[in-house]
Amino acid sequence: MKSTTLLQLKHVTATLQSGKTILHDVSMTCLPGKIHVIMGPNGSGKSTLAKVIMGNSEYKMKGKILFGHVDIAKETTEERAKRGLFLAFQSPIAISGVSVMNLLRTAYQEIRAKKQKKTVHQKPTTGTMSEFLETVKKYAKLLHIDDSLLSRSIHEGFSGGEKKKIEVLQALVLEPKFAIFDEIDTGLDVDALQIVARGIELLGKRGTGCIIITHYQRLLSYLSVDGVTVMKQGRIVKTGNGKLVSDIDKKGYANV
Amino acid sequence: MILTKKGMQTCNTPFVPSLYAFGFHAPDESVYSSGRGISEQVIRDMSAQKGECAWMRDFRLNSFAIYKKKQMPLWGPKLSDIQFDRLFYYVKPIKSQAQTWKELPDGIKKTYDKIGIPEMEKKYLSGVSAQYESEVVYKSIENTLKKKGVIFTDMDSAVKQYPELVKQYFGTLIPSGDNVFSALNSAVWSGGSFIYVPKNVSVALPLQAYFRINAANMGQFERTLIIADEGSFVHYIEGCTAPIYSTDSLHSGVVEVFVKKGARVRYSTVQNWSTNVYNLVTKRARVEEEGIMEWVDGNIGSKVTMKYPACYLVGKKAHGELLSVAYAGGVQIQDTGGKMIHLAPETTSEIVSKSISGGGGRTSYRGLVYIGSNAKGARNTSRCDALILDSLSRSDTYPKMDIRQPQSVTEHEASVSRITDEQLFYLTSRGIPTQAASSMIVNGFIEPIVKALPLEYAVELNRLMDLEMQGSLG
Repeated sequence: MKSTTLLQLKHVTATLQSGKTILHDVSMTCLPGKIHVIMGPNGSGKSTLAKVIMGNSEYKMKGKILFGHVDIAKETTEERAKRGLFLAFQSPIAISGVSVMNLLRTAYQEIRAKKQKKTVHQKPTTGTMSEFLETVKKYAKLLHIDDSLLSRSIHEGFSGGEKKKIEVLQALVLEPKFAIFDEIDTGLDVDALQIVARGIELLGKRGTGCIIITHYQRLLSYLSVDGVTVMKQGRIVKTGNGKLVSDIDKKGYANV
Repeated sequence: MILTKKGMQTCNTPFVPSLYAFGFHAPDESVYSSGRGISEQVIRDMSAQKGECAWMRDFRLNSFAIYKKKQMPLWGPKLSDIQFDRLFYYVKPIKSQAQTWKELPDGIKKTYDKIGIPEMEKKYLSGVSAQYESEVVYKSIENTLKKKGVIFTDMDSAVKQYPELVKQYFGTLIPSGDNVFSALNSAVWSGGSFIYVPKNVSVALPLQAYFRINAANMGQFERTLIIADEGSFVHYIEGCTAPIYSTDSLHSGVVEVFVKKGARVRYSTVQNWSTNVYNLVTKRARVEEEGIMEWVDGNIGSKVTMKYPACYLVGKKAHGELLSVAYAGGVQIQDTGGKMIHLAPETTSEIVSKSISGGGGRTSYRGLVYIGSNAKGARNTSRCDALILDSLSRSDTYPKMDIRQPQSVTEHEASVSRITDEQLFYLTSRGIPTQAASSMIVNGFIEPIVKALPLEYAVELNRLMDLEMQGSLG
């Protein structure tokens, strides 16, 4: 599935209903199979950026989001997901009575159906269903996710670590072209951090462009970072390669 | 292992297609009708037609006398549209009960075809007692049940075949005078099921009955009596579907359940009447020492439903449970709830009620928890959750607690929620369309109740919710 599709933001501005502008003229390019990091102090607009890319309707957006050659800025969240965009949420919401497995299966069917045929829904055949189960099993094992967690209501009463792992599991199962990880590293112990990093690394190797939003170097020390963007007050203030991460860690945001 | 006849079918062969697919009706092949309206003469004729003995005839007449003095309830949904004098109180569909599928008239067969009964018949030849109009016309009982001494028959036959047993219990838990509808039912009841499970017998196979109204303006007044003797177990399932008519129909059943010492009864209902039916039901269980009564109740259809299954916990450590889910869309009113009456020490009960209202529908939870002075160490937990889908719809909660024993615990939790943008964003970000996402959330909401139902009922309920979501979201 090696892809050559680029994800490009061109002069993206995002404004809340209240009129407050959160993102100012943000432009950036993400490459398939590469790991791109977005850093910045609290309130710099990183999470907003993630939500805007995913098509959250809370924000009024201007500018272009190019997925390959197509501007997806007007598309719904669902359509973007079907193109191959994925967002791992910072604090994913719990949905009572909807099991992890049910969500995975439904999402897999929707996205697979889209992949197989670009028109109407198509129920996957039995073959792809068993393929699905094996895929889930394989990645759950990789991420040290207990089987019992898969039958529980998604994110309901999950620990911080469980939530993050389940988000990464979804990315692995759904094989997106681009995956955004919004503070996937917060609240993780060292072991969980390594496991999550392993998952992201695998996604990158398989051709998914990974966009990692974080405050810290911790997670990044397990990954080879290809590009870094630093945001402050809703603007991009610096871009660079992997070395920028350690510079920020040493000097702080104020001095880079 | 799920032993329900329908339950053994897989999701690939769902037994019921959808909500209004049942808006059909077969040509009426009734052989006797009481005509519209009710009078002492109608009751005498009905009783004579049925060939009943004097005690049942007198019970009916006595109940009618009580009914005439009763007032309509002064609380709850408006019932003044019911035209009692326009209803048919008794319609006898065929001359005698058919013993096998082949003997059924074609019209009735066609009706059952549409709800899929022949499919089950092919697979599981026994255990089905289905009601067509006001009488059970078709039933077959598994031989093993007979061998164990279990009686599973229609109520009319039970009155004739087991008069002493019926007499001992009939109308003792829900007396005619309990309320206006129990009085009416007692006067004109027809059909329903009778179950007796002997001591220490466990009926692994859920017993099922299907109800159907198929004559315009016909009241359906079925009567069910279940007696679970000491240490026994039985699961009874009723599923209802009804065709749509332009004039209002009334369904008013009475269900009495006797749970003896150490016995357990589960009574599951999926009610899916068409939206012109008034569904006004009285259900009550009497639970003796260490007995367990479980009501599982799903109400989706009807114009107005009023139903509050009750457990009278009369023996030490008796346990009562009510799991109920109600959906009200459009003009529908689901006024449901339950009653837990603790009358003995260490009795426990649990109520879980989930309601969904959308498209202008209205749900109400009406509950009573009574802890009597004898109920030392009694415990109740009630939880009622309402999901309101839009600003047109409404949900009310009327929980009543009457606690007369200080050494007891009563907990009541209630929540009202809606489908949030945050939930929808999460699910749509996984490629799930908004409407399917809403269905998922709604089905997730009722999941605790649905999982207590046999598989195909669960599937049906989920499908109905999907359909409702299609209607209620723009």
